[in-house]
Amino acid sequence: MIRINLLPADLRRGNRLPARVLAAAFGAALVISAAIGWFGLVYFGNLASAETALTRVTAQLDSRTGKVKYYTDLEANRKDYALRVQTIQQIGKSRRVWSKFLDDLIDVVNNSGATERHLAWFDSIRVKGDNKKGVTVSLPCNVQGDDKSMMANFHEDLEAAPFANELSKKSDPSFRQKSDPTRIPAAFLTFPMELQFVSSAKKAKKK
Amino acid sequence: MANWTQKKLLMTMGGATLVVCLLAGGGVYYTQGLIDEIEVSIDEKAKAILAADAKIRKIPKVENEVIILRENLGEYVKILPDDKELVEFVRMLQRFERESGIKSTGLVQSRGSRQKGKGRFVPISYAYDMTATLWQGLKFMNLIENFERFVSITDFSIKKVRANGGETSTIDGEVVHAIKLTMQTYKYNKAGSKKEVTIPNYEDRMTELREEIWKRMQEIRLTHYEHPGILGRRDIFVDPRESGVGGGNDPSNAEQREVLQQNIEAVAELQKIFEKSRASGTTLMEQISIGKLFRTKLAALMANLDDNAAFIVYRPYRLRWAQEVVAPIEQLQRQMNSADIEQKPVDPYLPEEEIQSLITMMREDCNNGQLDQARKRYEVVQERLAVPAEDSRYGLVVEAKSWHHKASTALDFKGLDLNIQGVVVNQTGRSGMLLNGEVFEEGDYIAEDLLVKQVEEEQVWFVFRGLTLVRTM
Repeated sequence: MIRINLLPADLRRGNRLPARVLAAAFGAALVISAAIGWFGLVYFGNLASAETALTRVTAQLDSRTGKVKYYTDLEANRKDYALRVQTIQQIGKSRRVWSKFLDDLIDVVNNSGATERHLAWFDSIRVKGDNKKGVTVSLPCNVQGDDKSMMANFHEDLEAAPFANELSKKSDPSFRQKSDPTRIPAAFLTFPMELQFVSSAKKAKKK
Repeated sequence: MANWTQKKLLMTMGGATLVVCLLAGGGVYYTQGLIDEIEVSIDEKAKAILAADAKIRKIPKVENEVIILRENLGEYVKILPDDKELVEFVRMLQRFERESGIKSTGLVQSRGSRQKGKGRFVPISYAYDMTATLWQGLKFMNLIENFERFVSITDFSIKKVRANGGETSTIDGEVVHAIKLTMQTYKYNKAGSKKEVTIPNYEDRMTELREEIWKRMQEIRLTHYEHPGILGRRDIFVDPRESGVGGGNDPSNAEQREVLQQNIEAVAELQKIFEKSRASGTTLMEQISIGKLFRTKLAALMANLDDNAAFIVYRPYRLRWAQEVVAPIEQLQRQMNSADIEQKPVDPYLPEEEIQSLITMMREDCNNGQLDQARKRYEVVQERLAVPAEDSRYGLVVEAKSWHHKASTALDFKGLDLNIQGVVVNQTGRSGMLLNGEVFEEGDYIAEDLLVKQVEEEQVWFVFRGLTLVRTM
C-alpha cells in the first residue's frame, strides 16, 4: 500500500524532530557541558590554585635560603672550633705535671725530717712516656740501715702519696743489703722501684 | 543526516557524548596528576621551610656559641705555635734557664717528631740536656709546665754527674745533676680550617658574652702548679747519711739533734706561755707579767737562733728546724704583733690640735670669702669628727660644725636668684625693695627660710636659715 501525505510540508508531523531525539540531544548537551565544566573547574581552579600555592611556597623558601646558608656556614665553623677546643682539652688533660710529682716525691722522701720512719734516697730517676702503656718511672732506691721495716715504711708512704691514685702498678718490696764504710751507718738496703702511671688516654677519659 | 534514522541519531549523539565525557575525564585525571605532583612539591617545600625556620631560630644561639669558641680559641691558639713562635719558644727556654740557674748543654729537635700529619696539631719534640741542682732543675721544669704555650714533658731523667776528680760538683752546697728532658709542644695545622663566617655586630656581641667566654676559658684552662721552692727539704738524689771519713768540721748528727731538740722544746714552752696569756680569766696584771715573760724567753731564743741554725747542717734536721722551730717562731711573732695591736685602743677621732687647726683655717676661709674651701675642709675629716659628747674635744667639734653650717648656708644663699631692682628706705616706717619684680618690706618672708630683715640704701639684710646675711647692690 502506498501512502501519500497530502498535507503541506510544514504541517506534516513526520518532518519534526522526534521528542526522544530532542530529549536525548538535550541530555547529551547537558552531560557534555557538565563534563567540560568539571574539567574546567579542575584545570583552571584546582590546578591554578595549586600552582599559586607552589609559587608562594617556593618564594618563601627562597627568601630563607640566605639565612640557611649562613646557618650552615656558622654550624660548620662551630663544629670546626669545637673540634679544636676538644683536641686542646684532650691534650691538656692527658698531660702530667712532673714538677708536682717531683715535689710530692721529695715530700714523701723527706717525711718532714722524721728519719726514724725511713731515710731514703734515689740513685737516679728515669721517666719514660708511652701513650698506650702509660708512663714508667724507674727509681733505683736506697734506705739507711739494715732495718727492713724502714723499707716497708717507705713503700707504705709511697702508696699514700698524692700521686698514688694515678698509679696502675708499683714494684713490690724486695731488697739487697749493702754496705758503704764511708758512711754512718754503713749498712743500707738497695732496691728497685718502678712506678707505672695510667696511660694518658685513660687519664683523659677519667677526667 | 536528515535521512538518518532515529536510532542512528540517538547512537551518534550518545557516542559523541561519551567521547566528550571520556576526554573531559581524561583531562581531569591528567590535571589531578599534575595537582598531586604540585602538592607533593608544596609539602616538600613546606617541610623545607619548617626546617629552614628551625635553623634560622637557632642562628642566635649558634652565633653565640661560635663567638665564645672563637674567642676561647684565640686564647688557646697561643699554646699551639707556628714556626715563628717556635723561635720565641726557644727564647723562652733561654729566659727560664736564666731564671732557674740551670746550665743547658744541648737542645735537639727529635727526629720524626715533626710529622706532616693531617691532624689539627702536629707534635714537635725537643730533647734538652742540662746540668743543675735538683732545685734548679725542678724550677726549670715548673716554669716550662706553667708556660702559656702548651709544653708537655714526656720523658726525663736525673743522674749523678761526676767532675774530673770523681768528686761531685756542687752549687751553694747542692749537688749538681745531669738532667735530660724531652719536651713536646704542638704546631697548629691550619690546613683543615673552615673559612671564618662574619657575624654581624661581632664586637658588641663579644662584649655581651664576655662573662660566658671567661667562664668557658676557665673550664679549658691548663693545670698549673706552683713549685714552692726548697722549703728546707733535702735533695732526694743524694745519700743523706753522715760521712764516716775524717768526720770533717761539721758537728755530729747526735750533737745537732740535741740542739734541734732544745730549740723545739723552747718553742713549745713559748707557745704554752702565749696561749696562757690569751686564756680567758687572766687578770690584767697577770697578762702583763706573762707578756713580759714571753718577751724575755723569745728574746733569749732569738739571740742564739742564727748560731743554732748554722750548727744544724744535716739536711733532715734542717727540714725539722725550718718546720718545727723557724715557722712556729714566725707565727708567734705575728700573733704577738697582732695581739699588741688589739690591745692598743685606736683613737678613731681627729686629735685636738688638728681640730683647732681646722677651725682656724675654716674661720680664715670664711672671712676671706672662700666658703667652698671651708666647707670642703670640714667634709674631708667629717667622719673623724663624730666625737661623743663626753669627749673633751666635743666643744671644738661643735665650733667646727658651726663654721661648716655657716659656709654651707652662705654658699646656698649665694646661689639664690635674688635680683634687687630698687629700694625704698623709710626712716620712720618699714623700708621696702623691688626684688625679682615684686615688692617686699622689712619683716616679709620671700620664701619659707628667707626673711627680709633690713633694707638700707646700699645693702639689704636677709635672715636665711637662721643666719643673717647681707646682699650689697
